[in-house]
Amino acid sequence: MVIRKKGKIVMSISIGVSCFVLAMVMFMQFKVVNQTDITSIENMRESELRAELSNWKEKYEDVNARNEEVTKTLQEYRDKEKSDNETSKLLQKELEQINVELGKTDVEGEGITITLKETQNNDTAITADDLLVIVNALKLAGAEAISINEERIINISDIVEINNSFVKINGQRILSPYVIKAIGPQVYLESSLLGSGGYVDELKSYGYEVSIEKGSRININKYEDEIKSKYMQ
Amino acid sequence: MDKKKVALALGIMSAILTYGICVQIKTINSTNSSYSTSSTVNSLRDEVLRYKERYDNKYEELEKAEEELEKERESTTGNNDELTKLEEQIKEGNKLLGLTEVTGEGVIVTLKDSTSPTLNSVIDTSQLVVHDMDVLSVINELKNAGAEAISINDQRLVSTSAIVCDGNVIQINGQKVGAPFEIKAIGLSEQLAALSRPGGYLSVLQEYGIGTEIVKSKNVTIPKYAGSINYKYVKSK
Repeated sequence: MVIRKKGKIVMSISIGVSCFVLAMVMFMQFKVVNQTDITSIENMRESELRAELSNWKEKYEDVNARNEEVTKTLQEYRDKEKSDNETSKLLQKELEQINVELGKTDVEGEGITITLKETQNNDTAITADDLLVIVNALKLAGAEAISINEERIINISDIVEINNSFVKINGQRILSPYVIKAIGPQVYLESSLLGSGGYVDELKSYGYEVSIEKGSRININKYEDEIKSKYMQ
Repeated sequence: MDKKKVALALGIMSAILTYGICVQIKTINSTNSSYSTSSTVNSLRDEVLRYKERYDNKYEELEKAEEELEKERESTTGNNDELTKLEEQIKEGNKLLGLTEVTGEGVIVTLKDSTSPTLNSVIDTSQLVVHDMDVLSVINELKNAGAEAISINDQRLVSTSAIVCDGNVIQINGQKVGAPFEIKAIGLSEQLAALSRPGGYLSVLQEYGIGTEIVKSKNVTIPKYAGSINYKYVKSK
């Protein structure tokens, strides 16, 4: 009888210990799963890795090109005789490029023009969010300059809906039909909006009138206001 | 009687353990982090790392060159007022482009995926996570409130930055970032903080149980754009 009891105690202790160990292991695993960073490349699948590779390649090439340009400009500054006239020209050249990048100049280049219009079949109007999604898709496809109804979209531009009745961009009232112009790689710009998941095709399915036109010389106007930096140092 | 008790206890324990194991298998399946050890994947991973390193090195080189250029500019303009003015305009332009680190008053907005997914099982679970459109809308509202500089998880937004959904994460400037999203904005903080007003986008997100937080600060620091602006298609007229 005593032996039986002893055996029981041993058994329950060993079960208890093994349960404890199992529970520990489980918690450890939960922790590992929690800590797994889904943005790190260790956890990517093949297709993700391929996308990541082309992404870094592109970034590398961009930085490389920029580096060559900066080095060239630097060399120009050094090579020039120290005459104020020459230096002024160089400074102005640099400033001009910055202004192009800021959107403060009229520009042209290859790209696409998208026209959006409501028809009589539509119960609802095209919204600011629709325009926001299209602009975002164009940027993703590599658009370098974008305008909607001649309002240039720059870094700080907003696209908002006022009273569900009209759209404001850069504080200016914009009315339908919306003409969106984008300069950049034509093929990418167009394909980013068409096909399954393409936003233009989605808008078409809602019955809106949408057209996309490719052009080799799209003209985009400059941003009219002053770009301020009152709060950032 | 005693035996029954032991059997019951054992039964409950194994049930709990089995449940735990099932949950784990499900979790691992859904994270689809299939540690594929095939050689293609490994070599791809190596190549990604190699390119990333090449990029990092080149970027460092670029930073040095830009620094030198700035010094050269400063020294050549000397005491000439006209030239100094031009030089200052260049500096200001680079700041507006997002190519420098900036500090100023503003807000920090945090968006977290919903923590109570089982609260209401009628809701589509995809509504409980922060989407690219949510981030896009919050950014748009901040711009409307006059934000001068914005970053998301330290990715500075420049004029060509797009925000896209990429599986469980969001991609900004070609860089993957995951929840929670920390959005920093510099501008008049009172105005930026109006994002949390009733009926504003943050309150819409809150209805879905998405954790939102907005903090005003006198000292928000936003990093510079970690890349280069390099236009290939735009030509000046």
